[in-house]
Amino acid sequence: MKYRFNVLIIGGGVVGNAIARELSRFRMTVALLEKESDVGMETSCRNSGVLHSGINYEAGTLRAKLSVSGNAMMDKLCSELKVKIKRIGKLTTAIDENDLPGLKRLMEQGTANRVPDLVILNNHEMQKIQPGIEGIAAIWSPTSAVISPYGLTIALAENAHANGVEYFLKSEVLTVKKDESGKFTVTTSNGEAFSADILINAAGLSSCRISGLAGVNEGNNGESLKIWPCRGEYFVLDNRLDGTLKTLVYPVPGAKDAGLGIHLTPTVDGNILIGPSAEYIPEETPEDYRVTAPVLEDLRREAHKLLPDIKMSDFIRNFAGNRPKLTPPAEGGNADFIIEETKSLNGFINLIGIESPGLTSAPAIAEKVRDIVSKHIPLEEKEKFLAECSGFAGHFSDLSKEEQERLIKLEPEYGEIICRCEKITKKEVRDAIENSLGARTLASIKYRARNGMGRCQGGFCTPRIVRILRDEYGFTPEDYVLREAGSNLFTGNVMKGKD
Amino acid sequence: MIREKHDLVIIGGGPAGLAAAAAAKETGCNDILLIERDRILGGILNQCIHDGFGVHAFNEALSGPEYADRFIQKIRGLSIQVMDKTIVLDLSKDKVLCVSRMGEIKEIKAKAVVLAMGCRERTRGALAIPGHRPAGVYTAGTVQNLVNLENIMPGKHVVILGSGDIGLIMARRLTLEGAKVEAVFEVLPYSSGLQRNIQQCLEDYGIPLHLSTTVIDIYGPKGRLEGVTVAQVDDERKPVKGTERFVSCDTLLLSVGLIPENELTREAGIVMCDVTQGADVDDRCMTKLPGVFACGNVLHVHDLVDFVSMEAERAGKSAALYVAGKLAISGKEIPVRPGKNVRYVVPQRIKQGDEVSLAFRVTSPMRDRIIEVCDGGSVLMSRKEARMHPAEMVWVDMGKLDIGKIDSLEVRVR
Amino acid sequence: MTEKEFICVVCPNGCPIKVRYEEGNSPKLISVEGARCPRGKSWVKQEIENPMRTFSSSVIVSGGDFLEVSVRLTKPVPLAKIFEVVAEIKKIRLSAPLEIGDVVLSNPAGTETEVIVTRNVPLNAK
Repeated sequence: MKYRFNVLIIGGGVVGNAIARELSRFRMTVALLEKESDVGMETSCRNSGVLHSGINYEAGTLRAKLSVSGNAMMDKLCSELKVKIKRIGKLTTAIDENDLPGLKRLMEQGTANRVPDLVILNNHEMQKIQPGIEGIAAIWSPTSAVISPYGLTIALAENAHANGVEYFLKSEVLTVKKDESGKFTVTTSNGEAFSADILINAAGLSSCRISGLAGVNEGNNGESLKIWPCRGEYFVLDNRLDGTLKTLVYPVPGAKDAGLGIHLTPTVDGNILIGPSAEYIPEETPEDYRVTAPVLEDLRREAHKLLPDIKMSDFIRNFAGNRPKLTPPAEGGNADFIIEETKSLNGFINLIGIESPGLTSAPAIAEKVRDIVSKHIPLEEKEKFLAECSGFAGHFSDLSKEEQERLIKLEPEYGEIICRCEKITKKEVRDAIENSLGARTLASIKYRARNGMGRCQGGFCTPRIVRILRDEYGFTPEDYVLREAGSNLFTGNVMKGKD
Repeated sequence: MIREKHDLVIIGGGPAGLAAAAAAKETGCNDILLIERDRILGGILNQCIHDGFGVHAFNEALSGPEYADRFIQKIRGLSIQVMDKTIVLDLSKDKVLCVSRMGEIKEIKAKAVVLAMGCRERTRGALAIPGHRPAGVYTAGTVQNLVNLENIMPGKHVVILGSGDIGLIMARRLTLEGAKVEAVFEVLPYSSGLQRNIQQCLEDYGIPLHLSTTVIDIYGPKGRLEGVTVAQVDDERKPVKGTERFVSCDTLLLSVGLIPENELTREAGIVMCDVTQGADVDDRCMTKLPGVFACGNVLHVHDLVDFVSMEAERAGKSAALYVAGKLAISGKEIPVRPGKNVRYVVPQRIKQGDEVSLAFRVTSPMRDRIIEVCDGGSVLMSRKEARMHPAEMVWVDMGKLDIGKIDSLEVRVR
Repeated sequence: MTEKEFICVVCPNGCPIKVRYEEGNSPKLISVEGARCPRGKSWVKQEIENPMRTFSSSVIVSGGDFLEVSVRLTKPVPLAKIFEVVAEIKKIRLSAPLEIGDVVLSNPAGTETEVIVTRNVPLNAK
């Protein structure tokens, strides 16, 4: 089957989907190819969910510019897409005198980057925001926020799809060629072929592999295009601790740190994350998401230090994500984003090394890419662009009791609870199952409805979800897949029906 | 919002809730509402199709569903109102419950509440086992539910972590349904299951039990479990280098502990007991919030359902007396403490002193000991016990106690 | 000749019983040590020479509120015959309604037991 589009986006992470949504405003045919069974399954669902203010990045870099402008775009975007956002601010803390030069540097950097409303606080003022916090001084950045990174990715994708972008899941790109007419031809793992005028490489951990397929092995400024995956492991803590952290608290980072240091992050859903660690892993296995014993021990120790009241039972889950870094282990630190139409291949737009602050920058990256696209395709705004999504931000359990009562009368399934720990309703689960992208794995339901993310980790909801999928959607035991192909949950029935 | 009123609301329609409801009705409380979140009554018993239930209560060895049915028929006969497929979202200090079901959310004001919510299983996340997070890792109870109620086989080649009874029972169940159970690994130097189950679930089928061994890594790079790494552990439960070995399997069952489900209890600000993870109660099963009672697994994890029913009957009876204004609320209370070799005692306080029954667990397996219940220096009761094990709850009947003459109680084993 | 230690389950005493026996197709008890009563002695003899077991299983049901119904044996059967009995149980197909106590199989694999339903399965309303 051969498809023809104006624009082909490779990679369904938050960046690829932000681009898709932005381009869907205009008259052009757009398709997005994603190799996993759903969008956001790699880096985008595996991070702290923090929207950074922009103080951490060298002035004049893309990371600095795009994070500041991306951050500023988030309120409107989240309001349109009905994505929950909490502007809780951040205290970047100097523990002692040794941290003060670094703090000063960050403040200067933040000012140069035009980060709004920055101020340095003393410990007394810090206590007012976060009682009990240690440290002699901190930068208070009120524009820092938390969000659901997978929630945003999915919302961007489903809105882009509603606005005409076609999605091809489970479609891994195998070959990229440019023919004499100047069009790109891309073939995928399921035997399909796509033809496009513009190719946008937003493949994250796989971005250099894709670039290599297209024959582009160097950046426009001669940078070596190679991704060095750097794993970050996390613990998720029970949401009974919700409220312990009123804001984000980060240490002043060291220059050679590969990440921003192990810290506590309150999530938008009331959990606390501890992490991420930072450990380079072999480039051949960029999708090795194992959690490891020594790191888990480190994280546990840090958690006990930072939260003295924590109990063993508060540690409810681990996960890991891999940063698509452009800097090798010997160098550490961070390189700037590469976002460019490649010199060697006209119409091929490379996005390489989009690690933190990729989430924050996503809407700004989308505009930058749109501007590059506009050099090839005139931007004519669609008359009927559906900017707003229906529904409510967050979950049913976030609503007031009056609003819940009203909605239950309209949709009775809001009354039936499927996930006891997070109080997720059957209607929310049903909406997740019936998502417009057609993703039908257990992880797809979980990332949309959030069932299974609580302290019992699916103990209560799993049999209920199994029943719903079987009785109402005809699932047989072989149809239940966790995430990727081959991650089947079951091997069959206990007993078969009529022979 | 719709507001209803009931004299007594019981949260949970499993064995504890059912027995409490029947006892409350028989004690004269006529306005009872039993709230159950599932579509059927019986709680966890519905999936416990093995026998051994009711040996004490009915002198029969019944399966879980049969045991539950005895009580379900009883409450039907007593015309007790049941609200099924309903979850309690919260419980306030004023005994107002917010409940939710298909098409409806409402508030219920109760004079008395019996907490009978049971417990949940400890998860892989709580153990933080390193490795991948593939499909094929389950808690034993979830697999029990899927195999016994939903006709689903989770896998063909099974490793079980945890020698608690649920793990042992599932080892046999899966074997009889055609799976290969490779081994059961237990981190402690002794099994936490009943000896009968070790014989009849493991030894009968040649399934080895490896003590002082735990799973230290989960391997499943392609999405489904392919095997686990196990290692022996030392006295501090730390893996011993050099003892690691890989065990192929496609299913890992975790039977690593039950946790009383006290979210509602905590949200209502009710005082908890750290050791049992359940509410702190007196000899009438009343918590420190007057009019709120707790019984069954939500109070402390039981091993025999017969004792759950017994405890729940006491809670139900007390709740009915409370509604009728016949239960003493204030007055002297004597603390009950665990002494040497005892991990915990329930109840944690004695207030009334009629028919006091103390339930406790020992800290490690022991033989030929003497149980003593003391008040300071004087021994009020002592009993010889040939065999005691942490997995088997021990009951001591103290009969009537004169609260006025006692300062405190300690249960110890020497 | 083999030695084995049992923990007797006849009464709560749980006496540790040491036995010596000859292995083989018909194991023979040679000596018993540690049983505090004759019930324990005869229990352990049975355990060595012809262990008897009850077990539970499930049978598929059509037209009911549940997909499968749980069943159990009314009398113990020889351990050696368990898989044979399971195989016979698995051949059965049942239809709702079913009541606790309904006999679904008698004397499977030549044993003396009955297989009874242990869960009520009403007709599915739909």
